[in-house]
Amino acid sequence: MTMNRHEPFEELISASMSGDLTDLERGRLDAHLDSCPACRATLAAFAEQRRIMAGLRHVAPPRDLAARVRTGVERGRFVALPWWRRPAVMFAGVGGSLAAVAGALLALVLLNGSPEDPNVGANSPTPTPITTPSSSPEATPVPTRVPTLEPETTLPPVVTDPSPSASMVESSASPVPSVDPSPTTTPAPASPQPDVFLALTGAADNLRMTVQEPQPAGASPVPIAEVEQPSGPAIAAELSPDGQWLAYITELGQSGLNEVRVTRLDHREGSPDSPIDVGGTGVLGESMAGSPFTERLTWSPDGRFLAYSATVDNATDIFVFAPESGESQQLTDVGNAFAGSWTPSANDVQRLWVSTAGDEPMSYLVEVGEQLDEMPTLIDPADGAAAVAEGVFQPLLNPAGHLAIYWTGRMELIGEFWQLVEGGAPILSEHRRDGDAFEFSNERPLFSDLTIQQDAFTSAAIAWGTDGDAYAVWDTQWTGESQGDDTLYPDPARVYFGHATDPRGLTQVHAIDADDLPEETSVVDVKVSPTGEHLLVTVRHPLPGDLSAPAADLLLIERNTGEEADIVSTLNFGEGGGWFGPAAFDGDPETIGIGN
Amino acid sequence: MAVPGTFRWVAPPVTRRAVDANETRFAQLFDEYSAPIYNYVLRMVSDPDRAADITQDTFIKAYRKLDTVTDATSTRSWLYRIATNTAIDDMRRRRMVSPMRDDAPTFANRADDRPGPEAQVMASTLDERVQRALGTLRPNHRQCLLLSDLEDMSAQQIGEVMGLSYAAVRTLLCRARGEMRRALSAEGFAR
Repeated sequence: MTMNRHEPFEELISASMSGDLTDLERGRLDAHLDSCPACRATLAAFAEQRRIMAGLRHVAPPRDLAARVRTGVERGRFVALPWWRRPAVMFAGVGGSLAAVAGALLALVLLNGSPEDPNVGANSPTPTPITTPSSSPEATPVPTRVPTLEPETTLPPVVTDPSPSASMVESSASPVPSVDPSPTTTPAPASPQPDVFLALTGAADNLRMTVQEPQPAGASPVPIAEVEQPSGPAIAAELSPDGQWLAYITELGQSGLNEVRVTRLDHREGSPDSPIDVGGTGVLGESMAGSPFTERLTWSPDGRFLAYSATVDNATDIFVFAPESGESQQLTDVGNAFAGSWTPSANDVQRLWVSTAGDEPMSYLVEVGEQLDEMPTLIDPADGAAAVAEGVFQPLLNPAGHLAIYWTGRMELIGEFWQLVEGGAPILSEHRRDGDAFEFSNERPLFSDLTIQQDAFTSAAIAWGTDGDAYAVWDTQWTGESQGDDTLYPDPARVYFGHATDPRGLTQVHAIDADDLPEETSVVDVKVSPTGEHLLVTVRHPLPGDLSAPAADLLLIERNTGEEADIVSTLNFGEGGGWFGPAAFDGDPETIGIGN
Repeated sequence: MAVPGTFRWVAPPVTRRAVDANETRFAQLFDEYSAPIYNYVLRMVSDPDRAADITQDTFIKAYRKLDTVTDATSTRSWLYRIATNTAIDDMRRRRMVSPMRDDAPTFANRADDRPGPEAQVMASTLDERVQRALGTLRPNHRQCLLLSDLEDMSAQQIGEVMGLSYAAVRTLLCRARGEMRRALSAEGFAR
């Protein structure tokens, strides 16, 4: 991007509006204005704009504002309720058309007999709302443990009724109990501890961000890298497959923007060198914050490329960073492109699923060359794709690349973000090699007990575990009525933890225990440990409001074993608090079977 | 700036009896800032109900943290930062909610059924046109422009509110003004 010759003076003109000019800057600006009609016009326009803004109508607050604040202060618990749990706000959000929706649903039922799901493949079950056999939380049944997934295993047949069966055991731990990781399979030897996690500590005006490595037996973690000039807390992080690079997304203050960054952690013999030194950090770019479809980082299986999406000026495109060159390059130039996943590859050619948002989302398999400078630049992914998948948005492949979770549904650009606006649902499928390309097959809804019709997902965040079987879903954004029997479902405050080999799919009972997460926190990031039975959850505490630093806990959650409650431990270290998380795991090729 | 006569903070009876200094201070704070904060949030979220909720939460949080503020000169920045953070928290949680059904009229879009852009511009009040222009800005641009031009804050103060450096605020503000200039032009303003 080139800077026009007026740009430096436009910043001075803007600063002059609020008296933020030094004498030197004032002199430079005055001298320039004398000879530049364009900048004089800018000065006049900015001054007029300021006059217009200052003259905006003053709106009186509601008369009961003081009483509402007083009530909140006296009760001391209003802010403990997230907005989506406040009945009045919920009705404000969706209530305007409840009657119309009810009417439409009634009409559908009358016309079709039953509100069957129109958005799933041939193997899709008829979703059945889950029922709780007993009103007692202690007596709610739990699904049984599912088998371990082999790399080439196909998805199991779908059960038509995902409701808990008589074979399920009880839990006394939670109103909505969890999956029972029963000892019918040999426990994986992998450690639940992450390979690294990020920590942002210190006073608000002197924050320090470090990459830390947990130590065994609860010893204090070892800082292995310090991040220069942290812009804000990290909200996503992914280690390169060889563990040498950590890519992460940080919030850029309270600006509503994110930064994509990489820090080089290590150098191992035989791995390519990079202009970025060990311990060095690169800022790859900025993006609008707020969409799980863009707040995602994906490393190629060989670790030579990092793909990420960025939204700038209402356009979302894909960028690729190559550690070997230390450079990042824009890949697409269509304004609605999102990074999906890299496919398995046994040679130097790396291929990336690129998705485009629209009435009918599409995914294109795009080939990336051996070197960054061989990459086709600023492409339209529809041109020359190795494979095309219609109706598939942002396929997230498991580490072995044999299974996928992708989105289906109609999308629209609303405000600054592409969103699912009709029939939005995550789909679980196999991802099979088809000649030189890949195809998605044996699809079924990820959530087997939700009815997707007028009510549907607008988004959610999803992560696979490195065992290729376990996955987690959180930040579920749902439009419409709750489909839970007695609790909010899908619940954006809960994490849903499932296994691809579970024939029941993902259901309401797969939510982690309600007590696992501290009150008032919201989930920022989730990683599934290689054990397939542990989650590492980063939870954000409410913004404190004062000038203190943001705070988050990194929780290690072990799913319950039937009658036991989940075991939750906090991986925060050091005194004085801070922002701990997200965690990251590297990809062990033996574990995930890359190249099969 | 306060709007006289419409509302006042009244301390809870128990603390009124105790003449709690914090209560008195909070009452002054509420009296002075509740209306400006409400207007700032309203211009940010374009929805009176949400603005009221956010303002309400802002002052509840402020009440609980009042003893952490010792420097009177930073009180205003502190309060606006709470409001900004609370609004961002609200926007973050709402960002993907109900795109199909959220048809309730809002401050910014209640005139959508008018015949065409030109007629719409002519029929709108100046206030509505400015609000529509503001609504097209990125949230961070909208924030810093409001803090500068509506709240008359310096780059330094805006930095305190938004958690940005002085230099970053100046750059952001310049981009915001450029964006707003185009948005106002689209709304029929001359420049």
